[in-house]
Amino acid sequence: MVLLCIVIFPLIFSLSLSLHEWNIIRAGGWQWKGLGNYATILFQDPYFRTSLKVTIFYLLGTVPLQLALGLVVALILNRITRKIIGFLRTTLVIPAIMTPIVVGIIWRLMYNPDLGMLNYLLGLFHLPPVNWTGMPQTALPSVMMADTWEWTPFMALILLAGLQALPREPFEAAYVDGATNWQTFRFVTLPLLSPVLIVAILIRLMDSFKTFDLIFVLTQGGPGMSTETMNFYTYRYGFKFFHMGYASALSWLLVIIVTIISMILVKIIRSRGIYAMGG
Amino acid sequence: MQYSTIKTAKKIVLTLATVIIFFLILFPPIILFLTSIKTEVDALSFPPKWIFKPILGNYRDIFKTSSLARYMLNSLIVASVNTAVSLALGSMAAYGLARFRFKGSENLSFWILSIRMMPPVASIIPIYIIMKKMHLLDTPWALVIIYLTFNLPFVVWMMKGFFEDIPREIEESALIDGCSEFEVFRKMAIPLVAPGLAATAILIFIFSWNEFLFALILTGTRAVTLPVGIIGFMKETGINWGYMTAGGILALVPVIIFTVLVQKHLVKGLTLGAIK
Repeated sequence: MVLLCIVIFPLIFSLSLSLHEWNIIRAGGWQWKGLGNYATILFQDPYFRTSLKVTIFYLLGTVPLQLALGLVVALILNRITRKIIGFLRTTLVIPAIMTPIVVGIIWRLMYNPDLGMLNYLLGLFHLPPVNWTGMPQTALPSVMMADTWEWTPFMALILLAGLQALPREPFEAAYVDGATNWQTFRFVTLPLLSPVLIVAILIRLMDSFKTFDLIFVLTQGGPGMSTETMNFYTYRYGFKFFHMGYASALSWLLVIIVTIISMILVKIIRSRGIYAMGG
Repeated sequence: MQYSTIKTAKKIVLTLATVIIFFLILFPPIILFLTSIKTEVDALSFPPKWIFKPILGNYRDIFKTSSLARYMLNSLIVASVNTAVSLALGSMAAYGLARFRFKGSENLSFWILSIRMMPPVASIIPIYIIMKKMHLLDTPWALVIIYLTFNLPFVVWMMKGFFEDIPREIEESALIDGCSEFEVFRKMAIPLVAPGLAATAILIFIFSWNEFLFALILTGTRAVTLPVGIIGFMKETGINWGYMTAGGILALVPVIIFTVLVQKHLVKGLTLGAIK
């Protein structure tokens, strides 16, 4: 009950705040704006649109890539002898369980234009150095690459667990029927694995929306606004510019978007009868 | 003959692929560690030095000249108090949910999911203002309370699964022998789920230890936790790589140790029980 208050009260508070203008460092209390904040965000704020684009690009770039790479890794590791499976699992989970800030530090070190490892490796192949996080064109892909390093092994771990839980009979049947490797994968493995795939996508999608620590350490949303996701934009409005009302309205829009996407995915999961996630 | 050659070739390719995968995963953290034991000159040299004299100076200096010990203590306080409270409240709630049916109990999973789904940025503004009004800003208690909002449901969720695995008959026999429900919970159920309890404790400890956004906004100077403290070494004037990397390694050590300990329950926990 107490916990319910901790959760519900801020929501109501923030909803009413989103209907006002309130700058906490300036004098003067709340000013009623009605839906004005929302109207400004949706129709007049070009930065919001930029951040929306960055967010969509980020989600569409990272989640499918990590899913595909994770699947490849899982398929490879599934063929490896079971003896070292404990070691494999522990290694795969390390990037995901690491302090996200430290992941950011690691990649900041790797991307450093003057002494970073990546430019050194490029140099070995006689390629020109790249200013990874310093240029608008490469900053977002750089953050996405770090994100992919952090989450692909985790994706692989989920899919590996899924692969190992599959029944043997369909594969034997496919083998007896003379199916090629590709046919077995396409018509047996993928359909059987699809519940796990959807759960993996759902988990990653929800977390992807929340990406904050990586962006904070690597680029702070810059250069310009090239890596400013909606999440980061909201943070900056509230705690750099102190427009609490406007930031609250932004955060409500964020919640609405996340909820809609998650509802769609949960619906897919429920319709396929996957018990564990949807309850 | 030819068949076995193909088989050997396949095996070599697979092994090679595995080695490459693990190299890609482990290479960046290794670079972090190597940088942390380099002198400033070695760390800033380009191309990177592979052979150098390792030093522990960064680890010594970081404790001497910065408040790192203070940050670690704060992180430890927040994470352990939070873990203790979450476990105490959460395991009782989980036991109740696992053993008694009542209206609304099936909504729990949706609650868990929605907490996980919600971007923390969305709730940070009202939380900041409330904490300010309650004069809790820059104290560990603000973080302890806030971390409860996502750790407590997580404990309930995990522990509910563990309690449901205990056969009800064992408990019923204890009830017949005259134990109260609470005694059954304390003397029978808890010892039976002890491994699960430990794994859950470690996971939420790691979650609290790693959390950054709330810690960044709700603390200022006194209650700064480790991740926020490390970020402090990143200044406008430049980055102190020795401190950043050493601090990063120090933040990772407990996480890695714990990860190895609870490896078995980790996947289940991180996917909210979707994968066993």
